Formats: sequence, structure tokens, C-alpha cells
Amino acid sequence: MQFDSRSRKNTQSRRSVLQFAAGGGLALASSCRQPSASTGVLEKVWGQRGILDGEFQKPRAIAIDQDDLLYIVDMTGRIQVFDGEGAHQRTWRTPSIKFGKPCGLSFDRAGNLMVADTHYYQILFYNREGKLLRNRTIGGKHGDAIGEFSFVTDAAQDSQGNYYVAQYHEHDRIQKFSPNREFQLRWGKLGEGPAEFNRPQNLALDESDRLWVADSCNHRVQVFDTRTTTPELIASWGAAGTGPGELKYPYDIVLDSKGHVYLCEFGNHRIQKFTLDGKWLAAWGQPGRRAGELHNPWGFARDSNGRLHVLDSMNHRIQRITL
Amino acid sequence: MDRLGFSFDHPGYLSLLLFLPAMWYLSFRSLAALGSTRRILAILFRSVVFAVFVFALANVQFLRTSDRMAVIYLLDQSESIPAAKRQWMLNYVVQDVKEHRRPGRNDLAGVIVFGRDALIEVPPFDDDIPNVGRIEAQLGNTDATNLESALQLAQASFPEGSVKRIVIVTDGNENIGNARSVAPQLARNGIGIDVVPVTLNARSEIVVEKVSVPADIRIGQPSNINLVLQNYSETLTIPGKVRITQHLGPNETLIVPETAVALPPGKTVLRFPHVIEVPAPYRFRATFTADNPGDDHLSQNNTASAFTHVQGKGRILLIENFENPGEFDFLVQRLRENKIETDIMPSNQLFTSLSELQAYDSVILANVPRASAVEGDEIDSNQVAAFSDDQIRMLVRNTEQFGSGLVMLGGASSFGAGGWANTELEKAMPVDFTIKNAKVQAVGALVCLMHASEMAQGNHWQKVVAREAIKALGPMDYCGLIHWDFGGDEWLWNERGNGILRVNRRRRKMLSQLNGMSPGDMPAFDPAMQMALTGFNKVQASMKLMIIISDGDPQPPRPGTINKFKQAGIKISTVAVGTHGPAGSVPLRRIAAQTGGKYYKATNPKALPRIYQREVRRIARPLIFEPPGGVTPQPAAGTRHEILQGIDTSAIPSIEGFMLTTLKENPLVEVALTSPRPQPKNGTILAAWTYKAGRTVAFTTDAGKKWTSSWTDWNNYDKLFTQMVRWSMRPVNEDHHYSVATDIKDGHVRVAVTAFDNDSGEFINGRNMVVRTVSPDLTSSEVKMRQVAPGRYVAEFPAPQAGSYHLAVTPRPGDGVLLSGIDVPYSSEYRERETNRALLDALASTKPNSGQRGKVIDGSFNEKGISDLLNTDTYRSTLAPAVRSQDAWFLFVFLGASVFLVDVFVRRVAIGRDWIAPTLLFIRQKLLRNVREASVDATIERLRNRKEKVQSEIDLRRAATRFEPASETEQELAGDTPDLDALRRPGAANSPEESPPPSSTGGVTTPDQANDMDYTARLLAAKKHAWKNNQRE
Repeated sequence: MQFDSRSRKNTQSRRSVLQFAAGGGLALASSCRQPSASTGVLEKVWGQRGILDGEFQKPRAIAIDQDDLLYIVDMTGRIQVFDGEGAHQRTWRTPSIKFGKPCGLSFDRAGNLMVADTHYYQILFYNREGKLLRNRTIGGKHGDAIGEFSFVTDAAQDSQGNYYVAQYHEHDRIQKFSPNREFQLRWGKLGEGPAEFNRPQNLALDESDRLWVADSCNHRVQVFDTRTTTPELIASWGAAGTGPGELKYPYDIVLDSKGHVYLCEFGNHRIQKFTLDGKWLAAWGQPGRRAGELHNPWGFARDSNGRLHVLDSMNHRIQRITL
Repeated sequence: MDRLGFSFDHPGYLSLLLFLPAMWYLSFRSLAALGSTRRILAILFRSVVFAVFVFALANVQFLRTSDRMAVIYLLDQSESIPAAKRQWMLNYVVQDVKEHRRPGRNDLAGVIVFGRDALIEVPPFDDDIPNVGRIEAQLGNTDATNLESALQLAQASFPEGSVKRIVIVTDGNENIGNARSVAPQLARNGIGIDVVPVTLNARSEIVVEKVSVPADIRIGQPSNINLVLQNYSETLTIPGKVRITQHLGPNETLIVPETAVALPPGKTVLRFPHVIEVPAPYRFRATFTADNPGDDHLSQNNTASAFTHVQGKGRILLIENFENPGEFDFLVQRLRENKIETDIMPSNQLFTSLSELQAYDSVILANVPRASAVEGDEIDSNQVAAFSDDQIRMLVRNTEQFGSGLVMLGGASSFGAGGWANTELEKAMPVDFTIKNAKVQAVGALVCLMHASEMAQGNHWQKVVAREAIKALGPMDYCGLIHWDFGGDEWLWNERGNGILRVNRRRRKMLSQLNGMSPGDMPAFDPAMQMALTGFNKVQASMKLMIIISDGDPQPPRPGTINKFKQAGIKISTVAVGTHGPAGSVPLRRIAAQTGGKYYKATNPKALPRIYQREVRRIARPLIFEPPGGVTPQPAAGTRHEILQGIDTSAIPSIEGFMLTTLKENPLVEVALTSPRPQPKNGTILAAWTYKAGRTVAFTTDAGKKWTSSWTDWNNYDKLFTQMVRWSMRPVNEDHHYSVATDIKDGHVRVAVTAFDNDSGEFINGRNMVVRTVSPDLTSSEVKMRQVAPGRYVAEFPAPQAGSYHLAVTPRPGDGVLLSGIDVPYSSEYRERETNRALLDALASTKPNSGQRGKVIDGSFNEKGISDLLNTDTYRSTLAPAVRSQDAWFLFVFLGASVFLVDVFVRRVAIGRDWIAPTLLFIRQKLLRNVREASVDATIERLRNRKEKVQSEIDLRRAATRFEPASETEQELAGDTPDLDALRRPGAANSPEESPPPSSTGGVTTPDQANDMDYTARLLAAKKHAWKNNQRE
């Protein structure tokens, strides 16, 4: 990634200010523990390329439910459910894949699967058995008007039941909807400044309803406090690069309850672990096709035992690690 | 389960091991000085070294034996098998694998489909066959059965180290190749063959066997068109309609409208009278349609056609760019007024067969590019018209084989700027369409950005279009290709940081590098575009173009990046493939609009090459030469060309521009007009040459339009262009009368020519006639004719393909050619009506090496019948286990060399045993933590020994210094002659009680100590001996 040097400098200085401003909240949360740097341990590799049940064609998004079942969507438009050991449970398909396939999965607070049906500009809701809950669908219309979307990437639900939907391409922004799926507000635009986005690929909410955004093509993480009337940017960290702690297209973000942030890097073929204020802790993965190597991973999920299930997308398989 | 073993490729070398006993004998004697233990060890190691090297000489190999089975199913997809049955065949394979494959043995299953060719549908892999309900391989022609190629492909597809079996599912009606010829080879390789015959049911069928027209049709005289039809039904008379059309070039005329006929069982011959008014090569096509479709199962065998050539005046075809209709109307008008029949063909309604071109004696490409489209904001791929590779080949074959002329007229869309560079057409012309002159700034730069990851077979099509782009570029042009790979956005080729390289000598390398390209899912356009921008800025090119092919979902570029492209004058054309609805296409459209490029919407991937051909034309824009003030064409030095006969070359009006080309370095090339600027070699205006049987002309400026607007008033305009066209036209035979008849029988075409002299009324004998043929796939060949009777010449050649065979007979060198042709209307695939059981039985009964013969698995292809088929286990273990060998000689050489070092060590280094006790003691003390007291005692003991040794050495030196006589005991031992061995013994001068204790350094005596003692003792003995001798004297 190449940046104009002046704009990068400005951006970095703004980031510094933001980090300083956000220091009170996040640094406090992370200051009580300072884990040392480490690398991950590969536990299991499973799955292969194919179109049969249990096989994958470039898996692109993953979510995990309260029973540690994995929900994975691939480029055939199938959503397949597996247990943590890779045993296939069930499969269903999204209604249409002519224009493209979903690239985001997450769960709402009621335990329904939210599917970012990217190229149909909508968030679909399924129960865990695969039944489409049509009356819950958010969006479905392409455009720039209120409640309309370009390519949706992910959705998240806060403790109040509000939904946040990220989108990219023509209009890079996040839209907020009420628990009744009524439009509330939206923020962000294409750019690399504060609260601007360049392909916000994934969302995560922490216990304090802070919204963490994987701002993938800006190679950074932005954090918003959603409890305020207008979401307020409270932190932004990350810089483009391939070294430890640097980022290249972070496509997925996962938080644990221990003050850690995990990022899945599509471009660096690895998973990195950070403190909440962006201090690098650990990394796992390198480019390749052998076990323990990744090829353009799109996403990952963390189960109740702290294990990470990584979508090794271009190798058409799943790798399970601890980090 | 795999088992391991050894074998030898050249076991004869093992006889060298017989030399081992001799080596043992010799070694036993020569190594006697080493002591028994070391001698045995040395002989042992030496034997190992010898044996290991002998094994290596014998080419020792590791063997891995496996009973894992790989079964490849060959599925016949030819048209002789009804489609419904082919579906059941696929279902059978899926179920058979599921039923019989042993996953525990890691058995493999694969599928090959075949028709005219064979393709891998599923490569052998250790899982069930996915049932997607259809064949996915792009098999192409299924109008023939080529079982041989399928068997060969299967043989090549088996993985190493597996037991191999082929299961053939077919009706056995092969009409290409010979499967029996491959069977012995498969058997030798241990490959078993099972056969599942597909039974064909008897059915009623009408076949149009032949259309024939007389070979000597004369203008205005009635002649018969004969139509032969065959009704294969045994009892039914089948009613239907016959229709005959006459084709002259692209024009079709209905000469026998729908005529009702009733065909009784067997053969029926119908005759239709017809009169030809205009001389030309004609093609007649007859079609039968049954009133009741159920009476005639196959439609492919209901058409036949015939050729005839009625000699007469010349006729030419002018192909113009459909983007500019009427551009050459003035020229066409002038040619027609000069008695040259001229037809116009727009470039979006091109000829589709060679027979259409045969109607013309010359073809003019009038400022027509290879690919063209109507300009607009959005160009649909279906709106892009282009000459296919086949059409270009037809143009060239029409000239080189059939003697037609080919004229290329200039304009801004012609020659190199028309995208014709590096095509077969360029080879046929007297000039090359690119220039290699560094002084002429006609250089373009192209960067292709590849992102079509979600498109079906996206990787394949990206390679195809990239290949088209590279092929269309000139040698001085630059080319770069960006794709998303492991490292992110990367140049496919890169030299010292430059990804945009001059094509020149790298073209072949670039094309080969495309094979390794596997573009991934690019997240964003911006970084790649910035890379391209940096690359563009490093090269000096007067035209820079970027083409992005994408499904449109990467993040669009920043406005700043687009602005930089605009400022640099770099256009970006975008090609949308499989876009994600409207949202996917908007950014691509915007990029093209903002930078001045074109936006293409590719609805059909097959149109992609046409799009790239059209876009790459932009790169060749610098080949247009438009000097201020224009230039005046000048006649080339030397002989004046026929085309310029009667033209005052000193009064040729000036021209505003022309296309830069490079004159071919060939003595046949004749330059008529040239321009001194920019370089004579690149300034050809008019050149011509004879290209094989025909003639081609390159006229690099236009014919009265933008560059030669003043020429329309030039009084030699008509003369120049009519002479140019007439020079190129195919010569006509006028002196003699020849008639050409063609026939096909048993897959062979027979051509017969009757030669009769009109003036003398005699047959013409003794001619060395040659017939040139162009088959349906446009491959050409030449066959000599033999005279079989007075004035009658015959030639035969095989015609394995369905389609039109075009023929050109040259009665003698210099004569005009006689055109003819014959249609092989349909493959014999559409005649076969019964299963070829004999072939299938023969294949199944082939006994594989060390295995059992295969089985013929009978059953029907329906729901019930498949369960019968599944009763036979196709994964049964009746074949020899698979043995995989791997060369191991180099490992043995390494082993031998290593053991040889050990052998040398054993022979050269003596190791005493005294170190063992201290070592053991050390281990006991340090490692086993023995008692401390014992350690102290041992130390004191060592000190005491050391002290005694030192004392004894001092005593010895003293004795030597004093020259004391030896004791009586020693003298007795020594005798008259000093016993040197005895003297060498340490402490020999001392009494046994005073002998020194063992050295504290162990049992190894240092050479220096031994030498010192030897020297002193010897000196002492010598003195004593001398003293005794003196006394005696």
C-alpha cells in the first residue's frame, strides 16, 4: 500500500491525538495486564476444496454460536454448520447468488445468524437451523438514500438491540438501525481521516458497546463509542506494513473479554493479537499452502475455550489455533 | 497399505560381488599389521564399501508396493448416444464410486469424457464423485467418437503408485482413432479394462446421403441437381419436405422451395433441374425435414451440400469497417465503372466459411481493424465485432492455396493500428505491421490489471485476454501485468523493480509466464493503480493505456489517483466481467469515463479477446504517420511495377499521412511507391508480392478519404486502383477446358479432372497436376494427381472430419486454379445405429500384465438397470499391486563414501584401551555421583605414579650420561649383537624390581619418548661393542 507521504503524516498525527484522547478508556482497560509476545499453536487443520458437504470453495466468513458451532459461508453461497472438530452438521443456501455471495456472518443477541448478503445490499437473518426470518431483513435496496446500501460487509447488535451495518464501494460508511430495524443514523465516508473509512470490512462490539471497525484498506482499527447520541471516535490505531504490529488489509476483528483484540489480515496471511490500545502481543501464520500457513484468510472466530478457527480461504480449509 | 523393498535396474553388476572373497583374502594378508580386531573391522568396512558401490552400479531402487486402486471412468458423450442415456451414464458412475470405492484403502476415482476429443471431467482423487447433475467439462465437438484418445488420456492421468483400472461406458462406435491399438500398451502397464456397453435401440431414420451437381455446368444450360436420400426404416414410408438453396459468397438463393416427398424404405434419388446464369463458384445445400419429427431422430444427418465452379469474369469483395459505413463508396463506384464486380461486406457481418471467399478473385480489407465496435459510453461485448483467428486463416488460405488476391488499404484503423500485428495476415503481406526502429517514436505502453476472481473459469479467461494483448503489441511497445498474489499487488514480470518491460525479445517469456498467473481476490484498486502509475512514469511511450478487467468489487481508487492518471494522459479502459449487479459496474464505468478510456460490459467471456484486440489498437496509434505538410509518394528505384503502368509517377498528388510499416526483407517483395520520411524502410506506400498461389498488396494510405482527399480529382485514380486490384486477382483459365468432379467414399475424397483442349479437340495429357486442399479445420495440404486415362487425372485423400473440404487444382504452373470442393455433411457418428459389441468385448478381454481380464458389465441405463450394473465391483482386487520405484543409487554412493571414511579411520588410527578405565571412572564420579573419598585416593595414586615415572626418566638419563656398563643380565640377553628390541623396552637397563610403573598418560607411548630412549640405548650398545672389539684386538 502506498500513501501520499504528506497525507500519511497528517493521518498519523491525527491518530496520535486520537490515541491520546482515547487513552483514558482503553489504556486503562489494558494496563492491568501486559501479556508478553508469543506465537500461536496450530491444533487442527480440516476441510478441503469441493462442493460436497464438509468441503469448501473459498470460505469467506465465519461466525460461532453459544454452543461453539461454526457457521461458514463460502463462494458457493452455502452456509455450512460444523462442530469445533469439523464434523458437518447441516447446510443451507442464501436465496440468490447470481450477483455474488455473502461475505459477513455474525450473531445477534437472540442467537440468530446475521448474514451480510453483500451483493444484494441486505442483512439476512436466519435462525440456527437455517430458517430465513424474512421479516427481519435489513436493507435490500442499492443506493445512497437513507437505509439503502452499497456492498454490505458485516452487522453487529449492541446491548440495546440496535444494529450497525457496514458497507463499502461507492459509499464507505456505517448505518445504525433501531431494534425494530428503523434507520437511526449513519456516519463515515471514503477517506483515510478520522471516522472515515476505506472498506470497513468487519465490526465487533465490546461489553461497553464500543464499536470496533476493521478499516481494511486503511490498514487500521477504529473504535467508536456508540453510547453517545452521535458515535464518537475514541481510538484509531494501526499502520500499513508487514512487520509485527503492522497491518495489511485486516478483514476480521475479534475481541475477547480479557482485553485483547485479534485481527485477521487478508494481505499478510496471518492473525495478530493486540492489547486494546494497539500494542502488539503475538502473531501466527505466514503465506503458504502447508499446514500452519495461510493464503488470504478472510475471517476467523473465537470459541468459548479461546481457540481461534481461521478461514484459510484460498486454501479452502479451516485451521484451529491458540494464540 | 504400502510396503517397501529394493530392486536393481541392472542386476548384472551384482556379479561383481563375487570378487569379495578375493578381496577378503588379499586384505587379510595386507592388513596383518593392524592386529586382529582392527583387521576384521577394516575388512568388514571395506566389504561394505565395495558392496554398496556395486549396488549403486546396479542402479538400486527403492520399491513401494501399494494396493490402493484408482479407477477412471471414460464416459462417451458422442451424439450417437441419446442425451437421456448420457445422463444415466453419469448417474451410474456417481453411484458406482459411492458403492464400491474403499476409502480405507484411499481408493481414487476420476472421470474422463470424450467425443471427438477427450477431457478430464474429474481428476483422480480420493473421494466420491460430486453429483452436480451434468458434465462440466467444455468438451466441444461431440460429433465423433475418439475412444483411443480417451484411453491415452486415462493412461496419462493415473497417479503413480496405484492399481489402475479403466471403466469404459460407451456404445463402442468409434470413428476416429483405433482403440484396439492402445489396448496392448495399457495391458503392458498393468491397466485393467472393464466395459459397460451402452445399447442403442433400433429407430427410424432419414439420412441425406448426397447432393451432386454436374462438373461441366455451362452458363444458361439446364442441368440436374441430384439428391440421394436413405430411409433406414424397414417398413415405414416417411413423408417430408426437401429444400435446396444455392450459395454464392454470402448470398443465398432458394432454388427448390419446400417440396413434398414421400420416402419409401431404402434409397431414393430425386432430380431437380437448374440453370446457372452468372459464372462463379457455387455451393448447393439440400435439406430434408420429416413431417413427423418422431420419424427422424437425428437432425444432424439431414443436410448435404455440393460445390461447382463456373468459370467467368472476375469478382472482388471489399470488407469495410462497420463503424464507418460507406467510407469506400467512391472507390467501389470507380471499380464498378471499370468493370470490376465488387461486393461490400461490413466487418460485423463477416464471412463464416472459406467457400464464401472462394466466390471472389480478390479480397480488399479497406481500412478495417481486426476488432471494431460502435462508439458509446458503454460497449457491450456482443457489439464488438472482430475477425476470429479462423477467419484470418480463411483469408490467408484463400490467397496462399486458392490463388485469390488480398489487398490491404490504409487508414487510421489499418495495418498495425488496426490490431493486425503478429497475425497470420501480417505474414501474408509484403510489409510487417510493426516497426523496430528506435529513431521513430512509435512506442506504446500497456498495463493490464487482472481481477476476475469470481467469474466462471476466470483464471482461464484472464490468461486468454492477456495473451491476446501481448500478441498484439509491437516489439518496441512496453507491457506490464499486475495481479494479486501472495505478496499482495504484484507485477507478473519484474526486472530490477520495473514491471513494465519492452516486449521485444521477451514476448515468448511473457507468454510463458502467463501460465503461472493465478490472480487472487484484489481488495482495492488503488494500490495496484499507483504501482501502474509509477511504472508508466518510468517508460518513454507516446501512448499509455491501462486495461482493468474486474468483477467490480475491489474498493474503487481514490480521486487523487484518478487525477494523476488524467494528468499523465494515461487512459484506463475497464472490462466488467460477472459484476455484482449495478453496484459492481458503477466504479468501473466511472474510472473509464474519468480517464477517457472505454467501458466494456462483457456478457460473454468468449467476447473478451475481441475487447482486448480492440483496446490494444490504441497502443498502436503512434504507427499513424501524419507529417505536417504531408509527403509526396515517390516511385521506388528500379523497375516500374505493373500496377503503375501508364501512370505519370511524377505527378502523384501528395498525401496527408500513411501507416508506418516495415518492408519485408524478401527478394519477392516489390515496392512501387514509397515515402522518404520518416525512414525509407518504414515509409512504404505501395508494395506487392506473390504469396504462394496468390498475390497480396499493401497500400498504406487511404483511397480518397482523409489522407488522400486530393486524389479523387487525380486523373490516374481509376487507373491506379483498377490496376492494383486486377494485378491481385486470381487468373482465369481461358485456353483450355477443364472439368472437376469430386466424390466421397469410405472416408476418402476423390478428385477427378478432365482436361480437353478447346482448339484442337484433343485430350491434354502428361500434365503434373496438383490439388491443394483445405480441410474444415483450415489445415492445408497438397496432393499430386495421377493420370489414369487420356485427359483424366485423379487424386484421393482421406477426409476424416465433417465439414467442407475446399480444393484448388493447378493444371500447370502459371495457369489459373480450378476451384472445387466437397462437403462431408455429417460425421459417421450419425449413421451408427448399433452397439459395437465386438470392439467392447475385445477391450475387456485384454489381459493386463500380472492381472486378470476385465469384465463386460451388462445392464440398462435406467433406474432399475443401474442397480444391475452396480452388482459388479469395479474396485475389485484382481490386478497386480502397484509398484512405485525411486532411484536410490546416489544415496548408496553417499553411504559408500561415508563408510569408506570409517574404513580409513580404522586402518590409520590406533585407539588404545587405557582411556576406558579413566573414562569409566569419570562417568562414575561425575555422572553417577560416586563417593568423594574414592576420588581423592585415585588422585593421590595418579600423582604417585607420575612421580615414579619422572624419577625413572631422570635415572635413565643419568645412566646414559655416565656411560655405565650394562648389567650382566642385559649382556646375556643381548649377546654379541645388541638386541635393539630389548634396548627399546622402557627401563631395560634397570632391574625388574626397578621397572617404572605404567605411564599415567595411559597405554599410548609418545613417538618422541620412544625415539629418545632408542637413540641413547643404541649409542650405549654401540660403544660397548666397540670397546669389546678393541680389547680383543
